[in-house]
Amino acid sequence: MPYSVLILDDDADFNSLLTDIFEQADYAVTSLTNPLEAIDVFRETEYDLVVADHKMPEMTGSEFMRHCKQIRSKVPVIMVSGYLDNDTIRELIREGVGGVFLKPLNIFSLLERTSSLIEEAKKLESAPHKEQGEESEREIDAKLGFSFRSFPCKSTASTSLANRLYSLRHFRSTLTLIGETGMHYRSICEDIRGFYEGNAEHFIYLSPGTFDHAQVISLIEQAKEQGAERVTCVLLDFENMSESEKKLAATLPKGDTDIQDLGVTLRAIYCVSHDLDSLFEEGLIDEHLYILMGTAEVPIPPLRDCKADIGFMAQQMVVDIAREKGRPQVPRFEKAARDLFREQSWEGNYEALRNTVQKIMNTNLGDVLTLNIVKAAMHGNAGASPRARFESHLTSRQVDLVRAAAILFGGDRPKVASFFAANVNAVASKLQ
Amino acid sequence: MQEYRALILRSNRFLGSALVDRGLVSVNDLETANETFMEAIQASELKRASILNTLLFDTKALDEQALLECLVEESGIGLIDLNHVELRSLRPFDVDLSLCWASSTIPFDKIEKTYMLATCYQFSAPVLKYWEELLDSPIIWYGTSSASMTRGLERIEEIHDAEDAAAADEE
Repeated sequence: MPYSVLILDDDADFNSLLTDIFEQADYAVTSLTNPLEAIDVFRETEYDLVVADHKMPEMTGSEFMRHCKQIRSKVPVIMVSGYLDNDTIRELIREGVGGVFLKPLNIFSLLERTSSLIEEAKKLESAPHKEQGEESEREIDAKLGFSFRSFPCKSTASTSLANRLYSLRHFRSTLTLIGETGMHYRSICEDIRGFYEGNAEHFIYLSPGTFDHAQVISLIEQAKEQGAERVTCVLLDFENMSESEKKLAATLPKGDTDIQDLGVTLRAIYCVSHDLDSLFEEGLIDEHLYILMGTAEVPIPPLRDCKADIGFMAQQMVVDIAREKGRPQVPRFEKAARDLFREQSWEGNYEALRNTVQKIMNTNLGDVLTLNIVKAAMHGNAGASPRARFESHLTSRQVDLVRAAAILFGGDRPKVASFFAANVNAVASKLQ
Repeated sequence: MQEYRALILRSNRFLGSALVDRGLVSVNDLETANETFMEAIQASELKRASILNTLLFDTKALDEQALLECLVEESGIGLIDLNHVELRSLRPFDVDLSLCWASSTIPFDKIEKTYMLATCYQFSAPVLKYWEELLDSPIIWYGTSSASMTRGLERIEEIHDAEDAAAADEE
């Protein structure tokens, strides 16, 4: 399929000449003489390259190029003109013009430059976008020797966490993750699940107020039907579980008689927000749990100890949210914005970062998320009214509730949707 | 020993984690030892509630020589064999023998204000902290083997029994 080129020149003769040149070189050409119409067409159609005259009555080529860059920043633009002084040429190049050609045209140079610009753009498009210090997930996986997604592993603390979890992946019955509030335990546990190949390992997630003995048995049975040989029960927000839930959770690593009869090996991962001594002293766990949970404790580093990770985590959240929202373009934080992220202490950790990014994505539709956009979102968080903070809190709990309902209804999404009087797609989006 | 139940729980939990962190036992070995430990705790047999002894003598998952070498290398403390120490009554130190059993630690000497303590739980921070707060004096710590500790505690028990018998005779 030929590459497509949009040509804009108000001079009909010259426009025709350019069209002939590109068509002869096997490009699919759209020729226009009106810049406003060209902007509309460019918005509606995918082009591989734009060629524009610099001097036009409605707007300059420079202004036209800025419109194009706002719509699709990666499409290269070539400027042609009868005369341009050196300062203007330098200015155009600074603004992102891929080539400036003066009339009379050197056709071979023009086509050569066109070809190289399109090739460069295609390479950039197919390669993951990188900035200094940024590594692809594959490169990080290669460095670690395994896949890990919950932290980008740019910092020593998060890399140590990944390595420690990987080294403990064969834990026999109990693992305890201890972090501050707002940690993304579910993602971390999904990483642990990813350490195993095949379908024999199943993880089930249990939150306070969402399970009882019969439901746990039902979930284990479902896992077994799906081929599970070992089931790991992840106890989220463990310290806030009821006494009966804790009692049940304490038996999970071994399983009571009913559970043992299912013939599946069981393990438990306890996720807590305080160290075990505090929980024990406050009477939130008993002696048995204190020792059981102390077998293998893994501290989850707070975000302030993983500063190098924060900007990348925020960008990954943008990718996820853009996907959830079905946005065709994934916006990117400019470097200054990412730097601002890493300068914050993030007391609420992952959850607080996610809320901020969500807020940014809800209110900004552009491709570039600037420092000012991030500042505005952060300022809004700090000065938010109690009502807004409550709304934010409810929003953050929404996903947990949907997931809890999914567990309750055995993963039956239509039932979950019906329970919340929502549509199935909305539920599916939350569950993702 | 019931009054030291919390200390026993904490000191053993910390010791277990410390042994795993140093690669001296595996998580799975510790899980097995924890089960035995909890059985003893729940039966209130606190003298038997020792993760160290379970790992050394029941499951044989821990090599004591390796533990002592690691202790010397990491903490730089000296080792002592209590069998070659003339042990005395702990009563002048105002120290409860049950605490010594609970923490596998014996204050075997005191020079001016400085206590000499032998312990098997050097890697367990709660034990060190408990004794430092209790004695509120400078301490020189020594590592010792589990067998040496057990025999030392038994000898002190014998000394206390003899003291009690002498006191009863006097009465």
